[in-house]
Amino acid sequence: MIEKADWKDRLYITFSYVFVAIFALMCLMPFLIMFASSFTDDLTLRLEGYALFHSKWTLKAYQFVLRGAEVQQAYITSVARTVLGTLGSLLVISGTAYALSLRRLKGRNILAFYVYFTMVFSPSLIPWFVFVRNSLALRDNMAAIILPMLVSAYWIMVMKNFFSSIPSEIVESAYVDGASDIVILFRIILPLSLPVLATGGLFMAIGYWNDWFLPLMLIDNAPIRPLPLLIIKILNNLSSLQEAVKIPGVIIPLSSVPTEAVRMATAMIVIGPIILLYPFLQRYFIRGLTLGAVKG
Amino acid sequence: MSKLAAVWTYIRNYWLVYLIAGPGLIALMLFTYAPLLGSVIAFQDYSPVTLFLSPWVGLRNFGMLTTSAIFGRLVVNTLFLNVLFITAETITGLVLALLLNELRAHFFKRVSQSLMFLPYFIGWPVVGVMLLSFIDYDMGIFNNILASLGVDRIAFTNTPDIWPWLLTLIRIWKNAGAQCIIYLAALSSIDLQLYEAAAIDGASRFQRMRMISLPLLVGIIILMVLLSIGRIFYGDVGMIYALIRDYAELYPTTDVIDTYLLRALRVNSNYGFSAAVGLIQSAVSLILVLGSNWLVRRYSALRGEDYALF
Repeated sequence: MIEKADWKDRLYITFSYVFVAIFALMCLMPFLIMFASSFTDDLTLRLEGYALFHSKWTLKAYQFVLRGAEVQQAYITSVARTVLGTLGSLLVISGTAYALSLRRLKGRNILAFYVYFTMVFSPSLIPWFVFVRNSLALRDNMAAIILPMLVSAYWIMVMKNFFSSIPSEIVESAYVDGASDIVILFRIILPLSLPVLATGGLFMAIGYWNDWFLPLMLIDNAPIRPLPLLIIKILNNLSSLQEAVKIPGVIIPLSSVPTEAVRMATAMIVIGPIILLYPFLQRYFIRGLTLGAVKG
Repeated sequence: MSKLAAVWTYIRNYWLVYLIAGPGLIALMLFTYAPLLGSVIAFQDYSPVTLFLSPWVGLRNFGMLTTSAIFGRLVVNTLFLNVLFITAETITGLVLALLLNELRAHFFKRVSQSLMFLPYFIGWPVVGVMLLSFIDYDMGIFNNILASLGVDRIAFTNTPDIWPWLLTLIRIWKNAGAQCIIYLAALSSIDLQLYEAAAIDGASRFQRMRMISLPLLVGIIILMVLLSIGRIFYGDVGMIYALIRDYAELYPTTDVIDTYLLRALRVNSNYGFSAAVGLIQSAVSLILVLGSNWLVRRYSALRGEDYALF
């Protein structure tokens, strides 16, 4: 490739490096600050303000967070919800995608319209709320925070596109040999679809992990409040925070709870899993993004 | 074959397929289509006691909308913020992608992309916590920097006017990386020979970017913007509720339709009115999506391409 390194080009390249580097660092900064602030105590924070480096390092905030009964419950709820939800979603969505990709299914396009129309039209909040809570009795239980987000037409579309790209001869010959649709789905299509399942599963899992809307709307009393909801609560008032870190049976003077640092620490444990997995699964993260952008 | 026999054959052939697809189809019915029927609430004087049997008031709820000062402000906020967000994210993502595309250092590209993409996966409540570390009056980083420069500190939670811009910055932080990656993927599919030919003809890098990369990206840019326009009447409730929460002083500039509806639910206020607002939202969005898609199909037909969604 002919590269004339004239000054205009060099300037452009230098500018590019600098601009991108600054932006990338800006993206990183909030994480570093939150990280640093979680390992100190409130007095230091009050004196020095939030920063990248503090004069005092302590694990007190984490001790409070990790031992708090409500925090532990929230963590367990989040994990259970994510695992169950992701597996359920993958199953249900691949089932529907299979039907949509099945060439021999007559009336497939009516089905497709039924599914894709939901991408365009989402129900407004009040009717949804009234219907789901009252008519479906999805309230204060684990099903309430899983089922409403179980299927998404977008992922049905992505999976259907992938299934359609599997050579139809394989499916057809299996069918002719007498294999039922279930066998075809589980023995042939799904094993061939591992990339899509992995990427989709990852994004669905993150969706379940981060969602706070369903719990906010549908959980009133039950002790199954996932982590993001806990974060919103402790953002709103400090007494919630102090409630959350209580250990049953232990009396702690509330004034000794480092509330600011505890907030940072709680947020850290919420994003902890994602940050830990990120370097290893980056390929899937990126692929998941471009999956939908490729039309057809 | 009689109609009945045809139906029976269909069932016999495909019952298993429908069984497999069933849960998904039922879920879509339950959570998307059925609530649409519940939109009837918009025409009732609804109360949680009488549920769907509440007295029918026809268009009265909609009438209230036009006179309501709240509704006007909500619509303005929703649209204004969304337009800000879409524009800022798209431009930033585009610029980053175009710049990154020219760089050779592999390690730098990979690391910077990783960093830029990371915020995309952080839930908004956690972003709310991060925000605290920046905007807190006494301890926040913004204010500390201001103080060290001798400037007055800003009480962010009392300054509604600054928030549309603050929110836009946050949105850029969160989404520009993802946009950049999408555009980079599109850029990587451009034939390198085009660039070489241009270089031979004497085009600088900047010119090559402007004349080749940019025009060939138009298709995907339009696609992305089109997708966003369909949602332009829906406020980013996930973000705004998690960041603004109960700071009522900030509502004039940041409250969007969806956060208002959400609060209405929690406070148990006028369901009929809120349902009417929601119905208008869905209706306008539908028109917008169909309309923008039609526009794009016309525009792209002129150029001999097909950029439309459906």
